[in-house]
Amino acid sequence: MTMRNTRHVVRIGATTVGLAVMLVVAAACGSGSSSSSTGTQPAASAAVGGTLTVAQSIGATTLNPETTNQADCYFEELAYEPLIVRLENGGFAPGLATSWHYSGEGNTTFVLDLRHGVKFSDGTTMTAQDVVNDFEYLLKANGQMAPEFAGDTFAVTGPMQVTITAKTPNPEFPFLLTQDYNAGDIISAAGLKDPAALGTKTFGAGPYELDAAETVSGSTYTYTPNPYYYDKPAVHWKKVVIKVIATAQATLDAMKTGEVNLTQGDPSTLKAAEQAGLTVTQAPLLWDGVVLADRNGKTVKALASLQVRQALNYDTDRTTIVNALYAGFGHPTEQVTVPGGYGYLASLNSTYPYDPAKAKQLLAAAGYPHGFTMSMVTANYGDENLLAQALSQEWASIGVKVNIIDDANTAAYEAAFASGKVPSFIAIYGQQPISIEGPGLFLPPALFNPYHSTSAALQSLYDQDIRASGTAQTALNQKVETYLVDNAWFVPVVATGLPYYATTNITGTKVTPNAPLVELYQVEPAKS
Amino acid sequence: MIRVAARWIVSSVALLFAVTALTFVLASVAPGSAVRAVVGADTSVTPQQYAQVKRQLGLDQPLPVQYWHWLYHLLHGSLGNDLFSGQPITQALGTRIAASLSIIIATVVLSGIAGVAFGTVSAIRGGVIGRVLDALAVFGFALPSFWLALVVIEVLAVQVRLFPATGYVAFSSDPWQWLRSIVLPVLTLSAGTTAAIARQTRDSMLQVFARDFVAALRSRGLPLWVIIWKHALRNAAIPVVTTLGVVFIGLLGGTVFVEQVFAIPGLGEAAVTATSNHDLPLIEGIAFYFAILVVIINLLVDISYAALNPKVRATT
Repeated sequence: MTMRNTRHVVRIGATTVGLAVMLVVAAACGSGSSSSSTGTQPAASAAVGGTLTVAQSIGATTLNPETTNQADCYFEELAYEPLIVRLENGGFAPGLATSWHYSGEGNTTFVLDLRHGVKFSDGTTMTAQDVVNDFEYLLKANGQMAPEFAGDTFAVTGPMQVTITAKTPNPEFPFLLTQDYNAGDIISAAGLKDPAALGTKTFGAGPYELDAAETVSGSTYTYTPNPYYYDKPAVHWKKVVIKVIATAQATLDAMKTGEVNLTQGDPSTLKAAEQAGLTVTQAPLLWDGVVLADRNGKTVKALASLQVRQALNYDTDRTTIVNALYAGFGHPTEQVTVPGGYGYLASLNSTYPYDPAKAKQLLAAAGYPHGFTMSMVTANYGDENLLAQALSQEWASIGVKVNIIDDANTAAYEAAFASGKVPSFIAIYGQQPISIEGPGLFLPPALFNPYHSTSAALQSLYDQDIRASGTAQTALNQKVETYLVDNAWFVPVVATGLPYYATTNITGTKVTPNAPLVELYQVEPAKS
Repeated sequence: MIRVAARWIVSSVALLFAVTALTFVLASVAPGSAVRAVVGADTSVTPQQYAQVKRQLGLDQPLPVQYWHWLYHLLHGSLGNDLFSGQPITQALGTRIAASLSIIIATVVLSGIAGVAFGTVSAIRGGVIGRVLDALAVFGFALPSFWLALVVIEVLAVQVRLFPATGYVAFSSDPWQWLRSIVLPVLTLSAGTTAAIARQTRDSMLQVFARDFVAALRSRGLPLWVIIWKHALRNAAIPVVTTLGVVFIGLLGGTVFVEQVFAIPGLGEAAVTATSNHDLPLIEGIAFYFAILVVIINLLVDISYAALNPKVRATT
């Protein structure tokens, strides 16, 4: 039995004013929602290169792994070893924990056996109490991952053993404790004693540590090997530099000259990157589209009608939009997952074939023969604002007038869509396990459900899903996705990957549908 | 002299106060909030938690009170801490000011030398050379900086590989690499500023050359270069120095663009990030640094006036 698993909320961005966009991406594949008690170490390598330079479009707001945005994971993952390592092939391997398992029934008790003799970069030895203290700090710091552990308790249950007791069933602890989610990045006692310092210094047990003297916060971050790292063969570079370059073109130029080895690409530079001879890789990961948030009709009454929401889906010419805006970068989609992702059903992509006449009929049947007006907020990132404009023009043909709020300021975008006052918004979201997707995307408290829409049927499916495993869970995943499509909670338009550009003198940047994100510590010098 | 100094101090303090107060107001009324940026858009954050973060950041206070706190800390030598990283602002900006000043000063020096040279030649020679230089000045003035940046990167970094496309190396780390790292941004910024200075120099030199004392010097048979170097340039210098001062101050804004394009860790780049994050202490710190630079430049321009023109000295 196979099952895809995912992760993480990522903020990516970069506009002319250096802003960021909240989005969610997914990754990773495992062998089941129950744990793997044995794993393999990351592949050892004798090759050690000079300097690996990575470009990011925006700097980290903080280096504190428990309060950072997961889009900034590159800034933390070099310095903080996670409890569990998610490998390039999607499997799990021991990190600071050597084994883990659920105890009893119901996915509520999760036991971690910790590695002996691990030292943080400050030279102190990791204890089980350090791990418990870190989890408690995670809740207190109230960062992005805190809701995933809300109500959970943590206890030392052996000399090097920690047990998490979950308030509600959580089958995804192994995923949440990998590098993808930061929650498993353990901070040393010295770091927890001085939380203010966590923003600009690192206190982890990872392969590298931040070189504060060579770092300019928000611009250049320099990492050097951690002399106490437990797995020295996994250290592939004498130095890793993360350079913040705001514009995609400048990043591409820096890669052409060899000043930068690796970056996340975007549609505007994809072809140029290929022409420049860079290695371009991407795997299905994200869906872009519209969240029809006001499903209760609080702000725009029409959106409470299923027929209206379906009409918007029918009046979306996904193929034309994808060809115009995402050529070579994505595929039309009608579901909130990607091919091979959780709950993906190819047949769902035939639910709403482009049919303006049917859309008009549905609107008329719902009591809106002349359409209606609604606002839609979009970030000024990538082609998101162009997608909003394209949809606005298409929907105008059935009388739906969309007032676009195009926010160059990402903080304003985030605040607007989360406010529960804007009935629809453009979003980029990554496929995730239902247990993570629910609290993030469609359950009442979810960030992407700002009007707190609720459905007994959906809640019931979700509750069954998080307690199930294997083929039963796979079937439930598909039922959840089917519910979301049939009830037109969203207007998904395109499924895309997250492209990476790499120079030819490095390896370890290959991505697959199972592991669509490049991890920095897996990047190695190419063997000449 | 004391009166002049007192007047300068009062006007400088007033300027610093006005700039920081205005920045405070503008940054505060901009859409979004630092609290939202700190807690993220997570709807699981309760209103109580939101209010707590707001209180911790001091953003629950009325605007005048917040500004007063900022001023109070400033008078005690502190610009506050970055809202996100917790880093002291003086420390966060201390490493950046060298990068910005490197680019600004090099641009002023380069465009000053080139602009005065082009303007002088244009004024003296006239004819085809003069017209060509005039045309080049107009061209330089009209060139969009973003386009010029792309061209110099493509040609001098990507194709010829003479200079790095991005980044900044501190002078203390490696003087040669420092020079290489600032060449392209300086070239980008210099096109417009050189043109401005060349035009001003040309106009000033033409006016000086039309005056009687130049005709008298010529009639005494003095070589042209002596007339230019010892007499004409000195008389034409005041408007040129004024232009240089204006150029310098204008470049403070220019760094915002050029530091973004060339990924240089300077004040301009920090200004962009701080604004997008609503990081008020950082925004205020940058505005304060910029205002200090403006004050210093105005002082240097005033001193230059006095050095160049005895009449100015006599009136002060």
